[in-house]
Amino acid sequence: MKYDVCIIGSGAGGSPIAYELSNAGFNVVVLEKGKYYKEEDFSKDELAISRREMFKPKLEDEFHIIKEKDENGNITTYDGREYNWSFWNGSMVGGSSNLMSGFFHRLKPNDFKLKSVYGEIKGSNIVDWPISYEELEPFYTKVEHVIGVSGNAKAHKFLEPRSTKNFPYVSLEENSVTQWFDAACETLEYESLPTPRAILPVNDLHRKACSYSNFCGSYPCATGAKGSARAALLQKCRAQIITEAFVYKLNSDDKKIIQALYYDNKGNSHTIEAKIFVVAAQAIETSRLLLNSHNKYFPKGIANNHNQVGKNLIFSAGGSGEGRFIFEDLTKEQQKELIQRGLFFNRSLQQWYEYEENGKVLKGGTIDFLFEHANIISKSLAEAYDSSGNILWGKALEDKIKKSVTSSRVLTFEVFNDWLPTDDCFVSVDDDKTDKFGIPVGVINLYGHPHDLNVGEFLAKKAVNVLEKMGARDISMSISSSPPPNLVAGGCRFGEDKKTSVLDKNCKTHELENLYITDASFMPTGGSVPYTWTIYANSFRVAEKILYKLNS
Amino acid sequence: MWTNILKNQLLNKKNMNRRVFLKSSFLTIAVLIFSKEKLFAKVTPLDTLVLLQEDLFPLSKKLDSNSASYILKTVLNHSKIDDETKQFIRNGVKWLNEESVAMYSKTYTKLSYEQREKVLKAISQVNWGESFIYTMLKYIMESVLGDPIYDINTNQQGWAWLNYETGYPRPKRAFL
Repeated sequence: MKYDVCIIGSGAGGSPIAYELSNAGFNVVVLEKGKYYKEEDFSKDELAISRREMFKPKLEDEFHIIKEKDENGNITTYDGREYNWSFWNGSMVGGSSNLMSGFFHRLKPNDFKLKSVYGEIKGSNIVDWPISYEELEPFYTKVEHVIGVSGNAKAHKFLEPRSTKNFPYVSLEENSVTQWFDAACETLEYESLPTPRAILPVNDLHRKACSYSNFCGSYPCATGAKGSARAALLQKCRAQIITEAFVYKLNSDDKKIIQALYYDNKGNSHTIEAKIFVVAAQAIETSRLLLNSHNKYFPKGIANNHNQVGKNLIFSAGGSGEGRFIFEDLTKEQQKELIQRGLFFNRSLQQWYEYEENGKVLKGGTIDFLFEHANIISKSLAEAYDSSGNILWGKALEDKIKKSVTSSRVLTFEVFNDWLPTDDCFVSVDDDKTDKFGIPVGVINLYGHPHDLNVGEFLAKKAVNVLEKMGARDISMSISSSPPPNLVAGGCRFGEDKKTSVLDKNCKTHELENLYITDASFMPTGGSVPYTWTIYANSFRVAEKILYKLNS
Repeated sequence: MWTNILKNQLLNKKNMNRRVFLKSSFLTIAVLIFSKEKLFAKVTPLDTLVLLQEDLFPLSKKLDSNSASYILKTVLNHSKIDDETKQFIRNGVKWLNEESVAMYSKTYTKLSYEQREKVLKAISQVNWGESFIYTMLKYIMESVLGDPIYDINTNQQGWAWLNYETGYPRPKRAFL
């Protein structure tokens, strides 16, 4: 049987294609490496989900080699198995969109033309996107309605142009401490913004409303309120999904992909034929698949005759910080507000999405605020050391845990700014090491440009100012070039020139007629927000292009 | 957040890699304790573990967290816990006893409370010992505060201790 479309990967990049094309009547198959879990399978089991990482492959079976280059040019190699360094995130139908917090921000118009607006930065490969914000805007709006985005589009200096006045769903209910935050921002003359979320506040779209479970980020949603690719798209379309199907090779001639080969969970190999292939296996794995699929027409990997596959890998730069609110500093009424359970702390700052320093305009970023995760085991274990770094046990530890957990609450922040693309951050494949399927593992070559750290620190200091003004204690911040495994993009960027990009502006590979890539791999630069909304929007955009191609 | 979690994981792993892991037996089988290269005693690791759990987290007994059994039955057999960690737990029990013998010429379970505290203090100053105490605390805390479906945290007493309300829905089955 020959399908119209074969999609590799069922996350935010692949699912809009599956949804649009299968609903248009085309025969679509989705190959997903993970299992098919549904709402009834999900719980808030900290042991299973956070501590045993049930939605990630076991590192002994599947891993990466990480080569990290420091500021002096020295490269240190880590075997992911030995160092417990995992880049997996959501191996399941719907991918990591099941586990996202759903902080949904659009990119700004200037994110599409970073080079033109802010100029070149030495040592980086920044380029303008081949499309504009205006071309993507209708699809951002579509996502608001199809995936379901709630919030309040408050006017501010960097609010992106919108074709609709506001979000289709009202804001989720908020913890009263957001009022302390708003007051602190007003004093500091900062613009406090409500954070849009890909979470339904009401029953709609044949999904249930948010239950305010207090366990959102890192946990799959048991009501279906969170706009995962599975709940919002795959369960709403007729695409065939084959699970536990690890695609290890694409076969091609000189112009087209002919087959996708996959192993099932028993190690048996299967072949899928289709007119069009779409790869959306997560940025690192997408490049790995292309590189491992080399043949006589593409000896360096599929679509890699110009040596661009895997290049310009990016992450979200920035880091995090926190401050603690202690009951003894608060009135009884404030204590009550602080411990309100389950309600969201949906606040962010984008006042410095662009800022001036030493007479030069720089690209800044976003700061999202949220309460410390409700996971009680990790929270308790965080108390295992005293202030001098000595490990504690016995009654001293018990008392410290009791005091910390029952008489205070931590507010955290996350900084998102651009991770500049460079020649030193890219995906390759290992010459020797293979995974449990016998396929060469991906090598993640890491390098963080020093500029990223400067911007991250600038933003984090603004967040610290807010926490101080709110009266938090024990304030800390950590900005580093550690790559967040859940915020990865690039590797097959799109552009006009096939010498510097893998994909054309419609996310079709320059070198093949029927191969598209629609996960975050296409992004030449990442903007300064979490990627998911942009991945969804772009995938809906590409779906229109593929639909046109199939119909003609 | 991801950055800190990643760094801690890396730090722990780097420390562990510096150690040489000796082959040892399972917790239920007697472990031979040597002193000055001569056989000194046989100990049943489970006995050591039960007492160690009470020393590291005394409330675990009162809260009926079933910690030793959890480590023995669940942790050491879990599909997602790597073999290196399992072996480290086994070795740690053996090394703790060897340190007890070196300091007091008695195995851990034969020591007084004060002596055991001094042994723990001593091992906490060296790399393997600190990692072992942290590893034990990690799994003890899991048994105190994890979902009772794993035969731990009996009657949710651990959650009650911290006035903690778990998330819903709760798991219908254990993930092993």
